[in-house]
Amino acid sequence: MVVGDVTTGTDVLVIGGGPGGYVATIRAGQLDLDVTLVEMDAYGGTCLNHGCIPSKALISATDIAHDAGDAEEMGIYADPAVDMQGMIGWKDKLVTRLTKGVESLCNGAGATLIEGRAEFAGENTARIVQDGEGQGSESIEFEHAIIATGSAPIEIPNFEFDGERILSSRDALALDHVPESMLVVGGGYIGMELATVYQKLGCDITILEQLPDALPAYEEDVTEVVRERAESLGITFEFGQTAKNWEETEDGLVVRTENDDGDFEEFEGEMCLVAVGRRAVTETLNLDAAGIERNGGAIKTDDRARTNHDHIFAVGDVAGEPMLAHKAFKEGEVAAEVIAGEPAALDYQAIPAAVFTDPEIGSVGMTPEEAEEAGFDPVVGQMPLRASGRALTLNEREGFVRVVADSETGFVLGGQIVGPEASELVAELALAIELGATLEDVGATIHVHPTLGEAVHEAVKGARGQSIHY
Amino acid sequence: MSATQSLTLVQAVRDGLYVEMDRDDDVIVMGEDVGENGGVFRATQGLIEEYPDRVFDTPLAESGIVGTAIGMAAYGMRPVPEIQFMGFIYPAFDQIVSHAARLRSRSNGRFSCPMVIRAPYGGGIRAPEHHSESTEAFFVHQPGLKVVVPSTPSDTKGLLTAAIRDPDPVIFLEPKLIYRAFREDVPEESYTVELGEAAIRRKGEDVSVYTWGAMTRPTMEAAEELAEEGIDCEVIDLRTLSPLDEETITESFEKTGRGVVVHEAPKSGGLAGEITATIQEELLLYQEAPINRVTGFDVPFPLYALEDYYMPEPARIKDGIRETVEF
Amino acid sequence: MAFEYELPDVGEGVAEGEIVAWHVTVGDHVDEDEVLADVETDKAIVDLPSPVAGTITELHAEEGEVVDVGSVVVTIEPDEEDETAGDDRSAEAADNETAAEQETAADESEDAEETAVPSGRVFAPPNVRRLARELGVDITAVDGSGPSGRITEDDVRAAAESEEESEPERKSAVSKRSDSEEGTERKSAVSKRSDSKERKSAVSKRSDSETKSAVSKRSQETESDTQTAEPAARERTAAVPATRKLAREKGVDIDEVPTEKSRDGDPFVEPEDIETYLQAQEAGETAVEADADTATDATTGETARQPVSREPYRGIRRTIGEQMQRSASTIPHATHHDTAVVPELVETRAELKERAAERGVDLTYLPFLLKAVVAGLKAHPVMNTELAEDDEEIIYKEYYNIGIAVATDAGLMVPVVEDVDNKGLVELAREIADLVDRARSREIDREEMQGGTFTVTNFGAIGGEYATPIINKPETGILGIGELTERPVVEDGEVVARHTLPVSLSIDHRVIDGAEAAQFTNTVIEYLENPSILLLE
Repeated sequence: MVVGDVTTGTDVLVIGGGPGGYVATIRAGQLDLDVTLVEMDAYGGTCLNHGCIPSKALISATDIAHDAGDAEEMGIYADPAVDMQGMIGWKDKLVTRLTKGVESLCNGAGATLIEGRAEFAGENTARIVQDGEGQGSESIEFEHAIIATGSAPIEIPNFEFDGERILSSRDALALDHVPESMLVVGGGYIGMELATVYQKLGCDITILEQLPDALPAYEEDVTEVVRERAESLGITFEFGQTAKNWEETEDGLVVRTENDDGDFEEFEGEMCLVAVGRRAVTETLNLDAAGIERNGGAIKTDDRARTNHDHIFAVGDVAGEPMLAHKAFKEGEVAAEVIAGEPAALDYQAIPAAVFTDPEIGSVGMTPEEAEEAGFDPVVGQMPLRASGRALTLNEREGFVRVVADSETGFVLGGQIVGPEASELVAELALAIELGATLEDVGATIHVHPTLGEAVHEAVKGARGQSIHY
Repeated sequence: MSATQSLTLVQAVRDGLYVEMDRDDDVIVMGEDVGENGGVFRATQGLIEEYPDRVFDTPLAESGIVGTAIGMAAYGMRPVPEIQFMGFIYPAFDQIVSHAARLRSRSNGRFSCPMVIRAPYGGGIRAPEHHSESTEAFFVHQPGLKVVVPSTPSDTKGLLTAAIRDPDPVIFLEPKLIYRAFREDVPEESYTVELGEAAIRRKGEDVSVYTWGAMTRPTMEAAEELAEEGIDCEVIDLRTLSPLDEETITESFEKTGRGVVVHEAPKSGGLAGEITATIQEELLLYQEAPINRVTGFDVPFPLYALEDYYMPEPARIKDGIRETVEF
Repeated sequence: MAFEYELPDVGEGVAEGEIVAWHVTVGDHVDEDEVLADVETDKAIVDLPSPVAGTITELHAEEGEVVDVGSVVVTIEPDEEDETAGDDRSAEAADNETAAEQETAADESEDAEETAVPSGRVFAPPNVRRLARELGVDITAVDGSGPSGRITEDDVRAAAESEEESEPERKSAVSKRSDSEEGTERKSAVSKRSDSKERKSAVSKRSDSETKSAVSKRSQETESDTQTAEPAARERTAAVPATRKLAREKGVDIDEVPTEKSRDGDPFVEPEDIETYLQAQEAGETAVEADADTATDATTGETARQPVSREPYRGIRRTIGEQMQRSASTIPHATHHDTAVVPELVETRAELKERAAERGVDLTYLPFLLKAVVAGLKAHPVMNTELAEDDEEIIYKEYYNIGIAVATDAGLMVPVVEDVDNKGLVELAREIADLVDRARSREIDREEMQGGTFTVTNFGAIGGEYATPIINKPETGILGIGELTERPVVEDGEVVARHTLPVSLSIDHRVIDGAEAAQFTNTVIEYLENPSILLLE
């Protein structure tokens, strides 16, 4: 628009307004730094727009419908009708409210918000390009930069996302109707969550997974509970299958796979969701112009979230595994604090994780096996949920809470929970680990009755051989 | 301690206009693209929404813009016409020097011309020709005009306010290279910075370095680097080029005995000559070395391949200062 | 983890060392402190002990190679247990490296200040972990006093206090580096000023006192060294630029020139004030040299009993003076005197004089001398050299340009006869005559007085036997010729009168030894005594 290139100067350039970026922006603003946030798509990033929030919205909505229709045991007779477009519309509205909220929080923190794609032009300069609008670009000179460009779904060969037959998770959260049947390539947490949603909505799901089990990141006894529930819902699991290619059919597609024995098989469905993982997004940045080093596909960072340049940071998915929004939050905060000269560091003792399947999985810290490998002599307390009063009142019988601790000192080392509200329950154990609390500390704390939280309490006491209720 | 906001220089221009328009109903803002578009550098962004009958877009005719403003000013308004780039001011030159500058003397005081012509000036933004001019000397040479060049956001708002309130025409040159280069806390309220007063940006004992506008930052950088070599520079940001703050200029030179002037405008006829002459008139007896001029070259401003050679930068400024110090 | 051993500062700020001999080869196992190599520095040959026990994996320099301090000379694969010891040692070695490494060393200390995040489990709440980072405490090294050994805030604070004792050690290493940094290359403009005292400002407020050393010494020392003209001691003086220039030329600090006048409230100095001050200074010096009890006139230093006249010390006289001073003060002169018995030379010249006259040339002894000198130079090349001090090289000239000292009204001049070896006696005679004439009439060019490789000064033309000539820098030798006349000489045990020619050779003893000087002289004398040998050259 302007003739010439007037360079804007800023203290902190944040590239990407997702969980890592917007949190860094707000924290930096709190610390009185002059921040400029550049976002090329939507504030809130994948998490708010095409990930965490939409998926949890659909899960919660779907669960209401499903549970209401499956409560005859409780004396409830219902057959809820689901208007997919209505659900998606409701999901979109809440997403919009949240993204606008992020934008206003960033503005409130005093940041300058620019729409466009930022790429490096040197170690202290960047260009902000308005792709496609023909508006040209502007230059920025920065003292520090925080890269938060996030991740994108991995595309497997021959399965380019088209939004019609081959869906990414993003596409799957915006369908306008419930397909009759759907193939899901990938049995990880994204595939499992979405498969559960659509199966509950009446879609006939087949999961094609390369490995011999779903949710390979978790222990067998944990995933067993989830898998059995999924199968009882009607989900078909096909393990040892590698998707090779596909062909469109009249009302859907057929996917050809190669199984463990080397034979080819075919599976039919209306659509195919490919959810085999995510990769860091770095190709938009022109990292070479600033000489920023990578570690595989992600950007290499240290315990202060710094790249190989002291003044350039990378946070969130773009900095590698685990690709969790709350890890991005933490890294964003730390990066802003380090820039402001505070003695912050990524010194967390554990990052909790959750899978919003049915039932949920919540885990933090070490498994018993990991504790042994780390040199501890672990003691385990495991409470089955069928012994929990609250679980019974929720009509739940499956699942458990397992707590891992060091037998010598009693320090809590980890926890694995599978059952309702596991994603919430795991927070208590994460706190215990972070504080360096012992079994005694948690055991001595009174927990409300009747709650699921009690099950955690009981598992902890069980590890000391003092469980009451099981 | 009143409230402040962190503003860039161009935002301070906007804030200055807004605050003064709020205080004085006679202030008018006019120029090419200043209304609907908010100015090509967004210097007048949002003003037309606030004051729809006092902000308007003009045709592409600088002589008309200034001529109209002169008429408005003569009849009691306070117009602030914008010339989009200093390189486009020449069609209005006649209006400025033949009329705006002379209205008071011609009418023996019955008419005056309280207008401020705002223009982004100076190079360093990789622009095509005409967009990097720094010809402040043309206007300093004309009696009846004041010429003001801020270098920081807080000075910008204060000087602009003072310029608008000044009863005589002011050419307000905004260094566009640093329009957005850094932020400063600027008071939210209305305030003035007096015209005709230079600012001592760095106190020193060994050599007086005079500069203004976008050259203030590289000069300060050079001064800090030279401090490590044992050369203690006093850096003076003139802020007003006409009238020159002779008192500050000479006070400094009397102390140091050595001087350097840094400006991006070409050397011949540039204000470095004027400052040098002024100094030696008063202080020949204290002069220990020739006063050095670190300036642009006597060629039309180049295109971007050579722009960085043309504009004085810290290395060239340091060389100039060292030469004076080692004489 | 391979250990790269960088050549440490082997003593007294030496910047490099030559690997004289390796005591190990690749594959050898060495114990800690075992000698790896002999390294020669400016002063002596020293041992290079191994800082770790381990196996040699690579040698990075060859015997005879000169290596910079701080460059890697050997790579050692340390034995497992000794890894930490090696690390400590290498940290020490790094600390002791020269200021040239200061930048990377500064980075190292910066990294050390930022406490690393421990990779294993730490049993401490977040605020305690943060405190540890703030205080620079390594939390994994802290013993926890909380339940089950949990680390508390107090534990961290206690650890911080006890670590302070070990910190001063680290700090002193840092200060050592910065000390050496100040000692070596400061880019301060202080070095440009003649004043070698430390100055905060590189700008000399006084006039430039660089060149005129004698006078500037006076002006630099603020304590007055004369009892006569008291220098003023002002911060600022008013003076027109021309006056300042005059002060500079005279080597006077304008702030010291006394004056009664003032302009605009500041003391004002005019040229006459400078002259007055200078005269007072000189008079003051001569007064000091004279009888100290004598009361002298405070302003001029002259009395009726000690009249003087003055002449400015400038121009050619001064140039010659400075050159002589430079030569005499930097070159260690040694002289060798001898006498040539030259009846044959006298005869030969007499024979040739007439023929030369036919060709319009007055044949003196000088051409013979020059040829004899060149013969000597060819036989003893070390006499035809230049010591290039900055490059640390002795340059052997393979051409022969002989300067001839000429006394003129303006002073001593040394025109140069080029390529003496390629010219015959007549040509030489002609050229010499021309050069001398033009030197005396001041028509000679500067270039004609440059480029000499050796000088001959024939004071004998005026009179005298031996002298101690001063070498014409950058040459390394000068031959003085005394009067050629009859003197008593012993032949076959009897004293007879023969023509003799005394010669005095001064040499630069940095380049030439007495023995070589004597040998050269012998050769020259041989040619002088037997001029027919010159035909062989």
